[in-house]
Amino acid sequence: MSAPAICTRDVTRDFQAGQQTITVLHGIDLDIKAGEMTFLVGESGSGKTTLISIMCGILWPTLGEVKVFGTDIYDLPDDELVEFRLQNIGFIFQQYNLIPAIDAASNAAVPLIAQGMDRAEAREKAVAMFEKLNIADQADKLPSQLSGGQQQRVAIARALVHEPRLVVCDEPTAALDAASGRRVMDLLREVAVAEDRACIIVTHDNRIFDMADRILVLEDGKVIHDGKTMPETH
Amino acid sequence: MIWIAIRMLTGDPQKFFGLVFGIAFSTLLITQQLTIFVNLLNLGAAGVYNNGNGEVFVMDPASVTTDVTYPMPSTALDAVRSVEGVDWAVPQLRSAAAVRTAQGDLEQVVIVGVDDATLTGMPKRLVEGDKSDLRTPDTVMVDDVGATRMFPGLDPMGQVLELNDQRVVIGGITDTVPGFASTAVFYTTYSRALRYIPGTRNRMSLVIAQPVAGITPSQLVDKIEAETGLKGRTREEFTRDGIDFIIANTGIPFNFGITVALGFVVGVAIVGLTFSLFIRDNIKQFGALKAIGVTNRQIRKMVAAQAGLVGFIGYGFGVLATVGTMWAFSSNPFFKGFFVPWQVPLISLAAVIVILALTALLALRTVFNTEPAAVFR
Amino acid sequence: MAIDIRNLSFSRQILPAIAVVGLVLAAIFILTGQPDREVDEPDTSPPSVPGSLANEARVAGSGVVEPSSELVQVGSALSGLVTGLYVQPGDRVSEGQTLFTVDDRQARAQLREAEAAIGEARAAIAEAQSAQATASSQLALYRNVSDPAAVSRSEVIRAEGEARAAGERLQLARARLSAAQARASSARTEVGRLTITAPIAGEILAVNIRKGEYVSTMGGGGSQPFIEMGQTQPMHVRIDIDEQQAPRLALGKPATVSPRGAAEQQVEAAFVRAEPLVVPKRSLTNSAAERVDVRVLQVIYELPASAVGENGTFRVGQQVDAFIPAKKGQ
Repeated sequence: MSAPAICTRDVTRDFQAGQQTITVLHGIDLDIKAGEMTFLVGESGSGKTTLISIMCGILWPTLGEVKVFGTDIYDLPDDELVEFRLQNIGFIFQQYNLIPAIDAASNAAVPLIAQGMDRAEAREKAVAMFEKLNIADQADKLPSQLSGGQQQRVAIARALVHEPRLVVCDEPTAALDAASGRRVMDLLREVAVAEDRACIIVTHDNRIFDMADRILVLEDGKVIHDGKTMPETH
Repeated sequence: MIWIAIRMLTGDPQKFFGLVFGIAFSTLLITQQLTIFVNLLNLGAAGVYNNGNGEVFVMDPASVTTDVTYPMPSTALDAVRSVEGVDWAVPQLRSAAAVRTAQGDLEQVVIVGVDDATLTGMPKRLVEGDKSDLRTPDTVMVDDVGATRMFPGLDPMGQVLELNDQRVVIGGITDTVPGFASTAVFYTTYSRALRYIPGTRNRMSLVIAQPVAGITPSQLVDKIEAETGLKGRTREEFTRDGIDFIIANTGIPFNFGITVALGFVVGVAIVGLTFSLFIRDNIKQFGALKAIGVTNRQIRKMVAAQAGLVGFIGYGFGVLATVGTMWAFSSNPFFKGFFVPWQVPLISLAAVIVILALTALLALRTVFNTEPAAVFR
Repeated sequence: MAIDIRNLSFSRQILPAIAVVGLVLAAIFILTGQPDREVDEPDTSPPSVPGSLANEARVAGSGVVEPSSELVQVGSALSGLVTGLYVQPGDRVSEGQTLFTVDDRQARAQLREAEAAIGEARAAIAEAQSAQATASSQLALYRNVSDPAAVSRSEVIRAEGEARAAGERLQLARARLSAAQARASSARTEVGRLTITAPIAGEILAVNIRKGEYVSTMGGGGSQPFIEMGQTQPMHVRIDIDEQQAPRLALGKPATVSPRGAAEQQVEAAFVRAEPLVVPKRSLTNSAAERVDVRVLQVIYELPASAVGENGTFRVGQQVDAFIPAKKGQ
């Protein structure tokens, strides 16, 4: 197996809350491999959002280093870090955060457009991605004209359209019933998991824990479990 | 990305129209009020503008504007003609007089007496008649706005009036800018003006002079002042004097200054508030874009494009509305000669740019302060 | 993106298009509406400085054209009706030429009366002479009688008296003759005075009397002179120079003169003299009410022959504008 996709060393994060300093992460050391679907599980306040933010380069750690595919991302100048995110990371937000004023395909094409690709070409690629996700017929609709599930698929298309090496997915099933949740997870496994791509899913939905390749459990800023399945005690 | 920015902007019609309206309203207010302001001030210099010839005006040191003059002895004309660098010089008489209309009403008018021999100093254009008609006995020419005031519904041509017990006939209508005092102006020859105005020893109000080729008007003014002790003014200076007189003696600059400032403040308020609301509504999308990997520079461009579109459309409509109102009022005699100085739309453009720059900077600060990490919460 | 009519966006396409059209319209309106503030050349050029003086020190003045003899206002010594008028304006006359005659019937009657008296006096002289001859010869006859008794002494005295009386009557008759002759001469002079002749050679400029009008020695109606004449070859201009400007004047230099209203027709006039008396400024603006307490120096210049006469620019009484060089360094 090749080098880990993400490698965190002694990642610590403090937050200032008035006079107090709250340490959210305590020296996290993790290696996340490509080709796997890694679940990051924890209660609210366990630090999983902070950790995922740090791992995908949008939140600076107080201490420690993060290497994503061998690049120490917090060593990069700001602009290069932004560019690194744009090239290498795909985001699926819990609330999708689609732009309401542009149609679904254009929403999905945003990363390509941001990379500087011609808009028509970017949109074609987005439509191609829609076909994989079985929503090609929704390409011309505005997000507000789509159902929640369709919006999520658009968000997934946006995360994958530029073929990133790391896909980060925040609570993909939180708003869905169990069956739909499993369908989404199946879909993600089908389109997001690839040989050279890491996929991290932040969730606390115990209905889908069985679909993980690896589950990391966070509590009070520490990894308390790392395995193929959830610990029984949980 | 600019395409996305524009779509985001127009995707919210209420705010978009609000922004456009705010800019258009500010532009209208600033442009229109400045235009009227400039034109009102210009009324003070009407006497200079209506004087078709000559670059230099010579007057008694006590004189201030074309209408506030202290008369000079007639030998002052020869004194001016004797100055080196004077090509020609002609006298002009300007004085108020009371005219009795055919109906027996008494009206105040301004009599302008121009050089008998050459009619130098007449307005450049006439609506009716020919300048040489002034040589017909008893003929005066009346300014167009004054004519509509004095003879409402009548043809002014041929109307007989009485000036200082003497008969005068309207023999022409001049195409002139009305003055601030809004009295009718009668143009006639110098010698006849002397008869029409019961007078004192010294009658000559102004000497209009022209420098010879190779001498600038201001050089000539210096020479005339040094040699004759009279006050000389170039056309530009005398125009400025008339305007300054209005500024110093009326509340116009203050009132219009307030309105223009108000236009600016209203613009900043409406546009600033609406734009911040718009940015706040879209802050999640901006956050997502930042997380995905859109640089601050690109976001700056997006916001600039949004401000630019709003500014462009709003400014276009504002200027169009200004021009429309000016056009609609152009038939009103009060607005005769009113025009939109080309500098005014540029000033309002600058104001619009300042308004948008201020609000866009505020909006950008909000966007830049947004942690991309917020998208995970 | 191609504009598809179905996708035509009000906000993104129509509004900006209206804005563009509005800006273009506004620009056209504003640019065509700018006021015309250009300065015109005067239609008729005002009196302008001749090129050679444009940048030199000079003095400006105005004046009137007059004959070189100045204006002669011909009057009449006697009053009466005009019976003959022999000139009209524009005529050139020589010195002594009859201009007009005044009714001379009364003077001629007086002349005839005096001539009759002369005849009468001559007759009286003849009568007296013959009486004297008779008396003298009678007296001589008495004296030649030697016999005293033949002629009485009283006879002799009477004859002597008669002879003396006859001599005195002759003297009286002679005196009456010279008185009548003097009266005739006076009447002839009177007749001559009723014929008014030109005092100098020159041109008749104005005739203000008609045949049959009454002329009085007090002047004509409206105090007009009966006939105005003057020597118009050459013609002079009398230029008024403001007393403040007068010291700068370069006396003796030619002046550039142009008639009022025809400033481009400038001629050069030669210096004649400056009047020794500085006079109050005469009104030149045709205004009866104009009074100024300024005095002027009057300088006389001679107009060139080409500029006067039938086809000339200058006429007597015309107003002119003049530019005269100033003394160097002033």
